[in-house]
Amino acid sequence: MDVLAETRPGAPAPAATRSGPRAAAVLSGAVEVLPSQREGRTSTRFTVAADETVLPGHYPGFPIFPGVCLVEYVHRSVLATAPAREPGLELVAVESTRFTGPVYPGDALTADIDWKPVDGVTWQCRAKIRSGRGDAASVRLRYRRGTDGASA
Amino acid sequence: MSGQREIRGRLPHRYPVLLVDRVTHVDPGRALTALKAVTCNEPWYADLGPDTPEEGFGYPKPLLVESWCQSAGVLATWEAPNPDVLTGQVMLFGGMTEVEFHRTVLPGDVLEHRVRVERRVDDTVMFEGESLVDGETVMTVGRIVMAFRPAEVLRPEAS
Repeated sequence: MDVLAETRPGAPAPAATRSGPRAAAVLSGAVEVLPSQREGRTSTRFTVAADETVLPGHYPGFPIFPGVCLVEYVHRSVLATAPAREPGLELVAVESTRFTGPVYPGDALTADIDWKPVDGVTWQCRAKIRSGRGDAASVRLRYRRGTDGASA
Repeated sequence: MSGQREIRGRLPHRYPVLLVDRVTHVDPGRALTALKAVTCNEPWYADLGPDTPEEGFGYPKPLLVESWCQSAGVLATWEAPNPDVLTGQVMLFGGMTEVEFHRTVLPGDVLEHRVRVERRVDDTVMFEGESLVDGETVMTVGRIVMAFRPAEVLRPEAS
């Protein structure tokens, strides 16, 4: 058996995770959490599979991974790497994004996310997404502590 | 009012990411209002099981942004439509600032996107606006930047 099978793009997401089947999902591939490099930073990996849900329509005959899907990738990464004491973070704002390079099917992406507490109930997450060709996007999201266990 | 013929004549997006249903008002070069009906038949909901909490059916916020941006795209190309991403000038999503989400949007909701041109500098257009459901603001858009560039910049060999 191929040892890479468990982490291949498009592999079924693990059941019953906060970021998995309990919420509507734009990405069909799984976001893989990487070991943390330092305090306050988390990292993930995601490969854009050729059969990602959005690609047939973006665009027919010329697939490009949409910028908003990079935002979704960061959002999924934030939920997947949130501190254990923050089970219900809610995305309240996209503070800023800059799309700096196109992303195509087959691209392997990494996201490094720096977590900054703003006040007792708000986090700012600054993410840098890179592909094999270099920088793809900078994304800054704002989260608020939710009132229950479901993330949105 | 303008329907799918006009929208598909201006946007290259298709299923499952053609996220504008109808244009209800256009002031060319200045402002546009468009509708998008959210339905549980969209693929983002396909795999949700019986344990999904109600808020799990919230429309993915990045897609709210995409739908609003496509409305901006219809406005930006109203007078010079080019639904082809392989030739001519194509519209690129440059970035956004201060997009705030105020309320969860659920299947059955009809989004009303209000788009205004804030500024235009050469081939770059900046938009602002908001989205409403039943008169209640669900998202405010501080600024979205769209850039028109030759189609060649999108090709893998060019990057």
